[in-house]
Amino acid sequence: MTTTALQRPRRVNASLRFELPPALEASSPPEARGLTRDAVRMMVARRHDSSLVHGTFSEFPQYLEEGDLVVVNTSGTLAAELAVEDRDGRFLVVHLSTQLPADLWTVELRQGTAPYFGAQAGDRFALGAGGTLALLAPYAQHPEGVRLWVAALSLPGPLFAYLSAHGRPIRYGYVHGEWPIAMYQNVYATEPGSAEMPSAGRPFTPEILTRLVARGVGVAPVLLHTGVASLEAAEVPYPEYFRVSAQSAHKINDTRRDGGRVIAIGTTVVRALETVVDERGGLSPGRGWTDTVITPDRTVRSVDGLLTGWHEPEASHLAMLEAIAGPALVERSYAAAVAEQYLWHEFGDVHLVLP
Amino acid sequence: MPVALITGSSRGLGRELALELAGRGWSLVLDARGCEALSATEADLRGRLGRGAQLVAVAGDVTDGAHRQALVAAAERMGGLDLLVNNASTLGATPLPPLERYPLEVLREALEVNLIAPLAMAQAALPLLRRSPDPRIVNISSDASVEAYEGWGGYGASKAALDQLGKVLHVEEPAIRVWSIDPGDMQTQMHQDAFPGEDISDRPLPAFSARLIAGFLESDSRSGRYRVDDLALAR
Repeated sequence: MTTTALQRPRRVNASLRFELPPALEASSPPEARGLTRDAVRMMVARRHDSSLVHGTFSEFPQYLEEGDLVVVNTSGTLAAELAVEDRDGRFLVVHLSTQLPADLWTVELRQGTAPYFGAQAGDRFALGAGGTLALLAPYAQHPEGVRLWVAALSLPGPLFAYLSAHGRPIRYGYVHGEWPIAMYQNVYATEPGSAEMPSAGRPFTPEILTRLVARGVGVAPVLLHTGVASLEAAEVPYPEYFRVSAQSAHKINDTRRDGGRVIAIGTTVVRALETVVDERGGLSPGRGWTDTVITPDRTVRSVDGLLTGWHEPEASHLAMLEAIAGPALVERSYAAAVAEQYLWHEFGDVHLVLP
Repeated sequence: MPVALITGSSRGLGRELALELAGRGWSLVLDARGCEALSATEADLRGRLGRGAQLVAVAGDVTDGAHRQALVAAAERMGGLDLLVNNASTLGATPLPPLERYPLEVLREALEVNLIAPLAMAQAALPLLRRSPDPRIVNISSDASVEAYEGWGGYGASKAALDQLGKVLHVEEPAIRVWSIDPGDMQTQMHQDAFPGEDISDRPLPAFSARLIAGFLESDSRSGRYRVDDLALAR
């Protein structure tokens, strides 16, 4: 494999280690827990004085000022899990991770709640309603076998219509019950393409966006289609498709020039913006595949703050967080989040890092 | 390690009281609506905590039941609650209007913050306070609750009612000491709001009242209403 999209980057470690108690894994959407989307908890960590304040996301607009800019990822979530049956009659699921050119995808096979390593190149799977999936070549290896495959997907109709009819949102073991795809969409999602929800934006509501606008806070869209997030400790994120428009690049540059703060909603936004930032912090428009990985030894130049969820121990997201907030503040935040029983994952609570 | 929950602790008297108690080894749960100010207070306090003392700052509005529960839950995770300080207050309408034209909606809101919320805080905190070896509640009052000052009818009525709630609460919960404390005039934002445009620099700093109050509430003084000038004598 020689294309940029298929290069395998190095491994990366965050310095933070912690235990995530199972009770802190959000097992259902806040709406099912009797909360509105914006009623999830939010910890606010500030770099300049290392302070931590606990609150709820509904206060988010109060933390921003006129002239600040919020950058959102408008990628929508696909119902990217399809049921398949292998040649021995074994029931598996396939997770469509990232769409490559020419109906090729990177995919992950799973059985129950665990990865499935029993497949081989050349295997073909019947999907519902006449669709087929053919495994072509290994994409990502794992000690026990192939973790991700490059596969050819052949469907009887258009992708989105097919997934709407036959797919389900990707779900891991900590989520109890099946929830409709609407539970996995951000209110500002405009273009489907993510295998998993860019979930930092989940607490946003039309009212929150209205309050931001009325405060004089700008909102700029970028796009990054997420792949599967089932990576194990220290695995580096795979290349993902992104787009930063000229208008959004200009808005970000103007905001910084005028002294405003640029706040990324989610690590996917940081990944997209850091792909098109120059050494002096200036952004250019761009689109394509990004293999940018943000580690603590890199200076993040494109954003001043970040709203993000709570990440698993040793996740690459933690390395990015350390690059933005510094290891000490990240360590304090995570210790406080465990002590104060914040909830993890896509249906959980959020963490706002400000300058 | 005793635990105190102080409402309205991002500035003024509440902030100074938090600093004073931190210096005396207390663990603290802080509350305020203001986002920036609470962060700054949290950072200031962190460096002054005693060994093993804990600090959690929770942003929110004391009139919001979910926020009150979050405050009490934070205290519970610290091991319990020994002291509730109902300090968060609003002046109500400013500039202070005569009762003849006091906006009733604003009075209702002032009662919500100055009277209903302190009782609701006490209700939420009672299960924890009853488990404390020395449970205490301080309601921050005002001389406007006993004196008749023009323009202070709304604020004064809310504080007079708060004084009375405290008196009855102590009768109903004799194991809990309940104080109303009039901290006197201070150089605070609230006092400045009451006297817009006036120079209030002749008033004492809130740190002075905070030091007296902190010493007082660590003493064995009985429940009741106290003026800050009397606190040193009352100990």
